Amino acid sequence: MIALYQHRPSPVHQLHPLTKLAISFGVIVLALGLGVDWVPLVLYLLVLVPLSALARVAGPFVRTSLRILLPFAISLFVIQSLFFPEGNTILARLGPLSIKAEGVRFAFAGTVRILLMAGALLLTLLTTHPGLLLTGLVQKGFPPALAYVIVTTLQIVPQMRERASTIIDAQRARGLETQGSLLVRARALLPLIGPLVLGSLLDVEERSLALEAHVQRHNAQDQPLPSAGPHLGAGAQMVDCAGHARGDWLPAC
Amino acid sequence: MIPLALEEVSFTYPSGVTALREISLTVAPGESVALIGQNGSGKTTLARHLNGLLQPSSGRVMIGDWDTRQHTVAKLAARVGYVFQHPEHQIFKRSVQDEVAFGPRNLGFAPARVAQLVEQALQATQLSTVADQHPHDLLPALRKRVALASVLAMDTPVVVLDEPTTGQDAQGVRAIGEIVERVRAGGRTIITISHDIDFCADHCSRLIVLGGGRVLLDGPRETVFAHGDILEQTAVEPPQLVRLAQRLRLPLAWEPQPLLAALEQSQRQR
Ligand SMILES: Nc1ncnc2c1ncn2[C@@H]1O[C@H](COP(=O)(O)OP(=O)(O)OP(=O)(O)O)[C@@H](O)[C@H]1O
Ligand SMILES: [Mg+2]
Repeated sequence: MIALYQHRPSPVHQLHPLTKLAISFGVIVLALGLGVDWVPLVLYLLVLVPLSALARVAGPFVRTSLRILLPFAISLFVIQSLFFPEGNTILARLGPLSIKAEGVRFAFAGTVRILLMAGALLLTLLTTHPGLLLTGLVQKGFPPALAYVIVTTLQIVPQMRERASTIIDAQRARGLETQGSLLVRARALLPLIGPLVLGSLLDVEERSLALEAHVQRHNAQDQPLPSAGPHLGAGAQMVDCAGHARGDWLPAC
Repeated sequence: MIPLALEEVSFTYPSGVTALREISLTVAPGESVALIGQNGSGKTTLARHLNGLLQPSSGRVMIGDWDTRQHTVAKLAARVGYVFQHPEHQIFKRSVQDEVAFGPRNLGFAPARVAQLVEQALQATQLSTVADQHPHDLLPALRKRVALASVLAMDTPVVVLDEPTTGQDAQGVRAIGEIVERVRAGGRTIITISHDIDFCADHCSRLIVLGGGRVLLDGPRETVFAHGDILEQTAVEPPQLVRLAQRLRLPLAWEPQPLLAALEQSQRQR
């Protein structure tokens, strides 16, 4: 199971992983460099979304980037619109609090930047097999260990989601109500978060062990990495290996 | 004590994989049943229908007089206990005792009853001496028993065990076997999913063999083990002693004593 990656026949998938990374970073630099509030939103809508449609991943692209954005957007808007220090244009009053235009503007600028950065990276991740990305990075002289850590860390979010649903199932099977009033749901949180955090820590430990084992083997044989050809290179194998190691913790469901 | 019934149950995952195809079977109260079959044959999918974690795409699942579609998983938990394969997915309390008490408390039992059930479950799983320890300080094999105890303490008439022996050494397997026997003796229904065919032969009197989402064989051990050809289709190898008996053309046996007796008798006849 390769988490974010969506296998599709598309010209975007065919691009070299580093080309895609370069485009992602180019878009980000352009958006942030211009320093105009609405530029990131325009780039997201007029560059990233069409590219994702070309790659046939528009659905997952928009859905995932909004899901990443939501918690940031909410906290930014709540905190900045109410507490922006230099705000004096008051839009509305809520008892002792007031919503200030400067704060709303600041929150908007922050939100669209996050949307653009998340979207740009997401597009690369959705269209690039993690193994190819890893192999591509290593071929350009990236330290293999670092490349491995980066690529696998990027896969953590979907893994956590999958793990969370297994944990919810396990606790519901022990009679935990997860649906109903806010209080019921709040109470259900603790039995979910404990195993989730601990499981993820164990996962990281496992990953570092797998990495160590691989480095040792690699040093012993000193094999060169095969090139990223039609079949996936050693990077893919490493990622798949880690996936299997993880499989010992998670049932295939 | 309640019976279970699957009535023409089919199930297709959202991804489009059909994992169960028109499965019909009943389990009487107090039976000890094993679900066996190769990877991907549908064992876990079937078991997850028993406590409502999955609902059939067609057909229905009856747990006693309850249709699983009409009850939440949390409600069904009072009837069917499900021990997940990985204890890491459920353990969150700071002591073994509290962890084991979580299920019965959720079911709304009175504190005195909870205390009694916890004590019984800890005894049955031989964890009484570590009741106050942090579950994560225990070895993984023991942690698995904590997960087992936490479900046994819910006092459900039906208990489902998903791969109870993985990660256990010979001693651990024996300990789990003893627990299963004790639960059987208490009259509860046990459904074991396992790749450990020796464990199934020892502790389950009825075997249900799945392959490609269908029931290939269903019956007492001796009938099922006699169908080597069908077992092969779903990559199940009968226990060693059964294969030995087959090679020697002796009556089927999966325990040393009956096999030796049969061997002696055939020698005498010769
Ligand atoms: N969450 C899921 N989404 C999609 N398909 C699934 C899911 N879980 C299982 N499957 C598929 O359903 C089929 C039955 O899987 P199931 O897990 O029930 O098999 P199993 O007999 O328990 O196998 P194992 O011995 O490996 O645990 C398989 O083809 C599997 O790939
Ligand atoms: Mg399974």
